[in-house]
Amino acid sequence: MATSTIVERPALVRQKRFSETYIGQWLTTTDHKKIGIMYMVTAFFFFVVGGLEALLIRTQLALPDGKVLDPQTYNEIFTMHGTTMIFLFVMPMFTGLGNYVVPLMIGARDMAFPRLNAFGYWIVLFGGLFLQSSFLFHAAPDGGWFAYAPLTECGVQGVNCIPATPSINMDFWALGVLLLGISSIAGALNFVVTIFKLRAPGMTINRMPLFVWMTLVTSFLLLFALPSLTAASGLLLLDRHLGTHFYQAAFNGDPLLWQHLFWSFGHPEVYILILPAFGIVSEVLPVFSRKPIFGYTFVAWSGVAIGFLSFTVWAHHMFAVGLPVVAQAFFATSTTLIAIPTAVKIFNWLATLYGGKLSFKTPMLFALGFVAMFLIGGLNGVALAIVPFDYQVTDSYFVIAHLHYVLFGGAVFAIFAAIFYWFPKMTGKLLNERLGQIQFWLMLIGVNVTFFPMHILGLLGMPRRIYTYAPDLGWNELNLLETVGAFIIAAAILVFLFNFVTSLRQGQPAGSDPWDAFTLEWDTASPPEPYNFKTIPVVRSRRPFYDKKNPETADWKVAVH
Amino acid sequence: MSVAYREGIPALEQVHDEGGRSLGWWGMMFFIASEALIFANLIAAYLYLEIRQGGHGWRLPSEIWYPLINTIILLGSSAPIHYIAARGIEKGSQRRLIWGLLATIVMGAIFLGGQVYEYSSLISQGFTPQSQLFGSAFFTLTGFHGLHVTVGLIFLLIVFVRALNGHFTKERHFAFQAGEMYWHFVDAVWIFVFSIVYLLPLLRG
Repeated sequence: MATSTIVERPALVRQKRFSETYIGQWLTTTDHKKIGIMYMVTAFFFFVVGGLEALLIRTQLALPDGKVLDPQTYNEIFTMHGTTMIFLFVMPMFTGLGNYVVPLMIGARDMAFPRLNAFGYWIVLFGGLFLQSSFLFHAAPDGGWFAYAPLTECGVQGVNCIPATPSINMDFWALGVLLLGISSIAGALNFVVTIFKLRAPGMTINRMPLFVWMTLVTSFLLLFALPSLTAASGLLLLDRHLGTHFYQAAFNGDPLLWQHLFWSFGHPEVYILILPAFGIVSEVLPVFSRKPIFGYTFVAWSGVAIGFLSFTVWAHHMFAVGLPVVAQAFFATSTTLIAIPTAVKIFNWLATLYGGKLSFKTPMLFALGFVAMFLIGGLNGVALAIVPFDYQVTDSYFVIAHLHYVLFGGAVFAIFAAIFYWFPKMTGKLLNERLGQIQFWLMLIGVNVTFFPMHILGLLGMPRRIYTYAPDLGWNELNLLETVGAFIIAAAILVFLFNFVTSLRQGQPAGSDPWDAFTLEWDTASPPEPYNFKTIPVVRSRRPFYDKKNPETADWKVAVH
Repeated sequence: MSVAYREGIPALEQVHDEGGRSLGWWGMMFFIASEALIFANLIAAYLYLEIRQGGHGWRLPSEIWYPLINTIILLGSSAPIHYIAARGIEKGSQRRLIWGLLATIVMGAIFLGGQVYEYSSLISQGFTPQSQLFGSAFFTLTGFHGLHVTVGLIFLLIVFVRALNGHFTKERHFAFQAGEMYWHFVDAVWIFVFSIVYLLPLLRG
């Protein structure tokens, strides 16, 4: 049967169960939309936590010989800033968005495994609280977000081991990422099965919205990359507590093993953090240009190409450790190759804008900001792939500039594009447009004031992760400027929080389709009913909702899809 | 289950049924794929460390015969669960399901016992996870597999108890099927672990 219909039954009058009270509905839910919202709220909470940590870092570095944080605390703060932003903000945020949007976009009633979905969420919440609780024990992880052995070796003294970090700080980190990994695997296999098996009739692979495509690629990356992190941190825990010698050079072990294992997770990971952003931008740009995406096939398959290539580039994080020349040449080449599918996407987005009727609403502004900022981050990333240049700037602020342009200018801008775009679907209210515009411009200025000077500081030789610096190194003015920029970003986030709270309470009603959008999630009420679609839609092109609204010029009549 | 389930909406699988394997089968498959990658990483780490140490080959201080017999028992344990239990329940036979499961569980337990015996004899010879890098790598890789055998056995025991209580029918027995898939995985991955740890040093002579 191609379609099925819902029979709504009158509710019987009886005592409410716990799962029917307001709190209980959230705590016991297996509805992908509720779980998605919980993921996003949790992720945003951790974004604020990680942001406060960033402000502490910038305050400490504002002036030379800073005294705000002592060195140990500084180590803990920058480690937790990176760990929080990556594992507790960007990843759960994209999982949450995917949870909410993907089943709606493909015309499904829920994810394939609703209870596994809820399990994944609760693990993220408690894994995140577990990691952050380390502050309460004065034992926050302090080895950096990539936790290089042997700096992180040996929790227990005595068993044939030279303790480098004898307290339990890094145990929090290793156990925390193991927990979060379980959640990500659960989420990823749920997405893969949902996307493969639960698409509405006619929603072929080549008609799926690009956000669904990118979520699919991301999920495969998670399934195949996270095991490396699981293995790496498992071996670290064994070294620290059982007295094994995997990363201990003194016992024939090899600290480089950690780097290989970690980065063979870590590099696919950075695409896990950016591919869903590509998907969001590929949804937002067409709607606000009033055109279909340019070169759908290329945008989709370049994402797949990036996914494959991302497994072949890990050692570009390790040029400075003294790899064989052949290996360096290989990893420099594969890294440069990734620029090709990425540039394919950029040009497709530009071509989508070309000749369109652009409307500069907030989601569009953030999507455009994404393209511009990500382009800078991509270009300085390619620079880092050039081995001699990498020798010069590795572990300097140049790297910090690169990763913040792709992760803040990239992922965070796309996340705000998504929030402004889908907030009306989730709540039935529009976010305030004027506040959104103010937030966008503050963020754009803040990001560039904060992160652009880092390029120069890196070239001037400022190493990353130093807790302070002497006043006569020529770094003073730029560091102060960066700190000012960080507080501009903080102001932008405050504007957003204000906008969020006021719009939730008294925002303008959105209706079911405020953007005149193209894809199926807008073919539901705002917010959608628990079962999403009364009748499962039948899809005939890549823009099913556009077809429904414009039967005369429907895509399937005028174009071959 | 989802809200849609409770309101009497046809199950997801019926709505979207395109034939082929069940959702659970696919979910289990991707879960196993991800697990297999953990083994792949541990094997890669094992070989990496072995080569970095000079590539002379890591040889255990014990004979290969005992682990070889153990291997045959473990690989053999995949037969009853498939040929007796699975074939049986597909025809609706509870008796064959129960006996097939029991045979596999017993064989799996023998393997695990054999591994414990091997460990204790190695440790008594002074070969421990702490004594040398090879010990670390050996006990971690085979121990991680032993952990999976243990989990698989618990999985099958739960399925066994449910089978005794008659929970499975000809049409509905996914929990059993998932257990069988997991058990085959645990077996198959041992072929790789065994080849790397026990057979590879023999090749080097």
